[in-house]
Amino acid sequence: MKRNTMRDYLRLLGTFFRVSLLGELAYRANFWLQAIESLIELGTALALVSVVFTYTQSLNGWHASELLILIGTYFLIGGAINMIITPGMSRLIEQVRLGTLDYLLTKPEEAQLLVSIQRLDLWKLLDLLFGLALLVAAASWHGSWPSPLQILAFALTLLAGAIIVYSFVLFLATLSFWYVRVENILVIFESMYEAGRWPVDIYPGWLRATLTFIVPVAFAVTVPAEALTARLTWLALLGTLALAALALLVTRLFWRFAVRHYSGASS
Amino acid sequence: MTISATISVEHLRKVYRVYEREAGLRAALRGLIQRHAQEVIGVDDLTFRIESGEIVGFLGPNGAGKTTTLKMLAGLLYPSAGTLQVLGYLPWRRERSFLRQIALVMGQRQQLIWDIPVIDSFELNRAIYRIPSAQYRQTLDELTDLLELASLLQKPVRNLSLGERMKCEIAACLLHRPRVLFLDEPTIGLDVVMQRRIRDFVREYNRRTGATVLLTSHYMADVEALCQRIILIHHGKMLFDGELTRLIERFSPYKTIAVRLQEPASLDPYGEVIGQSEDRITLRVPKSAVAPVTARLLTEQAVIDLSVEDPPIEAVIEHIFTQQEEVV
Repeated sequence: MKRNTMRDYLRLLGTFFRVSLLGELAYRANFWLQAIESLIELGTALALVSVVFTYTQSLNGWHASELLILIGTYFLIGGAINMIITPGMSRLIEQVRLGTLDYLLTKPEEAQLLVSIQRLDLWKLLDLLFGLALLVAAASWHGSWPSPLQILAFALTLLAGAIIVYSFVLFLATLSFWYVRVENILVIFESMYEAGRWPVDIYPGWLRATLTFIVPVAFAVTVPAEALTARLTWLALLGTLALAALALLVTRLFWRFAVRHYSGASS
Repeated sequence: MTISATISVEHLRKVYRVYEREAGLRAALRGLIQRHAQEVIGVDDLTFRIESGEIVGFLGPNGAGKTTTLKMLAGLLYPSAGTLQVLGYLPWRRERSFLRQIALVMGQRQQLIWDIPVIDSFELNRAIYRIPSAQYRQTLDELTDLLELASLLQKPVRNLSLGERMKCEIAACLLHRPRVLFLDEPTIGLDVVMQRRIRDFVREYNRRTGATVLLTSHYMADVEALCQRIILIHHGKMLFDGELTRLIERFSPYKTIAVRLQEPASLDPYGEVIGQSEDRITLRVPKSAVAPVTARLLTEQAVIDLSVEDPPIEAVIEHIFTQQEEVV
């Protein structure tokens, strides 16, 4: 049998990307709607920050420029999540309901991979770009640029945060194998994610715990922003990386269990 | 000693656990918390072999276990008991080298992507199956030719008619040149012309590639046109496995005699009159009585024309199923 090379995977990814782009181009008006939506969201977030900072100089130790870095991170990773992770997952839930997951499972490729890359909402790229622009602007306003080490820690925690969110959302979507309609769980995730616009340490204890360990928003947004604003400890960094690896493993095992169950019980 | 068959199934059994829900809101609410499982037998003790290159029709009423069996063969379901092998593989392991050689087409479920041109969905399958370009082009040309897809490939799927879409769905499943094809109701919902197209295609594909085909259909015409051999199942159990013509011989104790008379007469004494239109009368007669009844008709009546026919296959199968119901 032919070995699967890296090139084959890149090509597979490229084809999925192209197909998604074609799908999005079929509805061009969507691009403008998405642009307006992103701008409104960004505007609201910034307005809120400016209101808050007319009353205070710092929010639980976060200064205005640092909070902008956090919001930039929020948009950056939120864009990535909504572009790559959630579209495939909501499609998965739909496929379970319609029974078309059968097609996916008869393909000679790892089903988890296909499920994860099968759909991209490309226009969410705008959020990602806005986030990046805001990060750069906020960092220059902040005065001191982050050190290379901080940028490395930022990149690592960003990746870890994305992995944690991916694992979490896939875990939720996989529940659809048992409880067919779980779209609402994704909606809950999305609204919880909005709480990530503020550093989680401003919330009361119970909510902070929820946002950290039940809906892992803290790891996706606060931790990377902490890395960029020199707040992150080595312990927290290692903890985040370890948690990402653990989350990926647990979800992988759960997915395999679910596919076996699906094969054993569906009609 | 025997060459291993393409598909071999022995004492195959599949039991589902289903959660029953009673009617009513209160029961439904209770069901959110506590669910009662019940076991339902989908397939019970099936045994058959299919050799390479055969086209076999899988017949049975809704819920007989046809789709369940196909899904087990395609590796989607894990059998509860018994053994099955396809191309020497255990399907439920879903090994890549196995999946590369089979295809499952479900008439009621769509895999093409709605918003993009057909050809781009094909490209996706090409990437997933890692089909080399030369082979891809050749197969695509061949399928385009056989299914007359040329004008459809550039259109988005949402702009296609049901029949056009089905042709494209089938082509998408065949791009990797599967050696075993599972077709689950491939012609469902299609008009007669399109049904025939699909049928002709399946026959031609089988002839050209030597692929083994197992198909289920509600339309007898599909089965009559394509399959020398059929497997009849009901309530998950095998009722018959063999040639279509033998099915009629074995299960229909009757033949029909169609007669045209010079002048109208009552033919009740000869057999059961099951149809009468203008001057043509159709009688149902036990097989053993066909010869004497025919002789009597010819001597006693002024017959213009007479023919002896097998009853339509639908009628025979319906007869079998209703008999089974009585037994059960």
